[in-house]
Amino acid sequence: MVGQGLQSLIMAKAGTYDIEKGRGSTAASLILPATIFVAIGLLVPIAILFRYSLNAFVPGKFMVDALTIENYVKFFTDPFYLAVLWRTLRVAVFCTVSCLIFGFPLAYVLARTQSRYKNLLIIAVVLPLFVGNAVRAAGWMTALGNKGFFNAMLMKFGLIDKPLEIMYTETAVLIGIVAVNLPFMVLTLQSVIEGISRSVEEAAFSLGAGPATMTRRVLFPLAMPGILAGTILTFILAMNAYATPVLLGGPKFQMMGPLVYGQFAQQNNWPFGGAISFILMTATILLTMTANLLVQRRYQTR
Amino acid sequence: MARLQINNLVKKYGDATVVDGVSLDIPDGEFLVLLGPSGCGKTTTLRMVAGFITPTEGHIQIGARDVTNLPPWKRNCGLVFQNYALFPHMTVAENVAFGLEMRKVDPASRAKRVDEALRMVRLGGFGERYPRQMSGGQQQRVALARALAIQPDVLLLDEPLSNLDAKLRQEVRVEIRELQRELGLTTIMVTHDQEEALTMADRLVVMSEGLVRQTGTKRELYDHPADPFVAGFIGRSSFIAGHVTTRGTFVTDQGLKIQIAEHFAEGPASLALRPERVALGDAAKGLDNVVEGKVEFVSYLGAVLDIHVRLGDHDHVQDRIIVSRPTHGAPEPVEGDVMTIGWAKSAGLVYSEK
Repeated sequence: MVGQGLQSLIMAKAGTYDIEKGRGSTAASLILPATIFVAIGLLVPIAILFRYSLNAFVPGKFMVDALTIENYVKFFTDPFYLAVLWRTLRVAVFCTVSCLIFGFPLAYVLARTQSRYKNLLIIAVVLPLFVGNAVRAAGWMTALGNKGFFNAMLMKFGLIDKPLEIMYTETAVLIGIVAVNLPFMVLTLQSVIEGISRSVEEAAFSLGAGPATMTRRVLFPLAMPGILAGTILTFILAMNAYATPVLLGGPKFQMMGPLVYGQFAQQNNWPFGGAISFILMTATILLTMTANLLVQRRYQTR
Repeated sequence: MARLQINNLVKKYGDATVVDGVSLDIPDGEFLVLLGPSGCGKTTTLRMVAGFITPTEGHIQIGARDVTNLPPWKRNCGLVFQNYALFPHMTVAENVAFGLEMRKVDPASRAKRVDEALRMVRLGGFGERYPRQMSGGQQQRVALARALAIQPDVLLLDEPLSNLDAKLRQEVRVEIRELQRELGLTTIMVTHDQEEALTMADRLVVMSEGLVRQTGTKRELYDHPADPFVAGFIGRSSFIAGHVTTRGTFVTDQGLKIQIAEHFAEGPASLALRPERVALGDAAKGLDNVVEGKVEFVSYLGAVLDIHVRLGDHDHVQDRIIVSRPTHGAPEPVEGDVMTIGWAKSAGLVYSEK
């Protein structure tokens, strides 16, 4: 995403020279590079992948040209794969809701603070993003392990007798993904909340709304674009998480991201890998759109 | 609708004292304007009354209720903000109904009161629109209707007109004033625009540096400003530095003798003169003070001319004062003219320098 943005930015900059020539062609030349990039960089591979997913897999012969929905049938009839999909959905929804619950108050404080350390606070939120996903997961491994920081502290203070099994459980994965996704949620919400005038909140207070009512009737509806954007962003990231479930969940904890990788890299079953990719993508898109529609209906018919 | 009492209100942020002991007693139905330059503490005072800022010291009482420690949503103050602060996701009617909903007014009478409030600000029939579909003046009237609908004890206006253009400002000004009188609403308005303050207020409070400089009617403030700050802030004044040598005589630092009223005490002082109290040419003859002056600058302001005059003979650098007179009538002076100017001794206000 960053690469794409950067590329279109650089190309757009080159395109600005056309302003002297004519407005219409300038606009076209500005959006063209990004459009071409998206087409070649995203749509073509997806199309190829979709084609692969309809091929047949014959062990020993890699991939055989065919036109079959066998791979999709296989996924939806095998309880193991359905369990993986269900687990992925559960983890993603839980993480997204957690990010929203933890992120909103933090984003609000960041947006409203008058402190001169505001920039420092924002950097503190962004800082985790400077460390890659895998490196951070490795950090969590040392913190959550049986002899890790948490267990050592709890045992030292006599709160528990034997270490809690956190590593290689769903809990560890949830903690990891929430930690990774929280900054995205906070930054998205913060920028939207900053655009909401403080005096609108004050107007609600002066008209007799307490903080809870003000938040429900004024702040949330006005922050809804940010809530939607942040939720979609974190949900997509959680659905497609790879490093965190692999490192913190261990080999027995399967989610869709690692499953796709496994089919491509370990089983060499590209058709089935393609099918799983498509199921993952479709599920993500469908849920995102459904949530979007529900929220919009809820807040626009009022 | 209630009397509002503010008692020795203080607000400190660390070492900085923003409001330094403000006391005001505003009778039921009075329109009070807090006037002062930016940073004088007027907005902070208003926000303390509204409940958005907790005072460091002092008390605020609305009617019989001490509201000093009440949150804003329990104060029943109607607020109108500079930037309107309408809820953009609600229609005009929903905006106005919001406060009534919070007060659990039943839907039938709610609709009636919303209608009434909108008609009061001449926006009947605009209820279904969204704020973004309306002009700035209309939005501000919606904000006013929203504040009036809750039948507030006190109406607080925070520079409500400064986002409007000049013509609209005058219209809305009159509208607000008429409504306020009709409803008998105790009102505080904050502004830095003295013309606005003078046209709207029953009583004015001039503030600077967190202090109340003077409280009074427009006439009191204009004719008897309590200190040089008020003399310069309400209307205009030219100031001349000097001494009161004996009772009734003021000598400028440049040695010009000026007659003043007897009641001013002796010692170092400055003399303030209103531009329109100084006469020019023939009209100046026979007045208590008659001096020669050289015209240095003339500015045409439409109805009046401002003439900047250097006092006294040309050998000394003397003080400059502003004289204003109606544009039409006598021929316009030009730069370099030497003219006779004069004023009655009652026109000079003397402020001793402590």
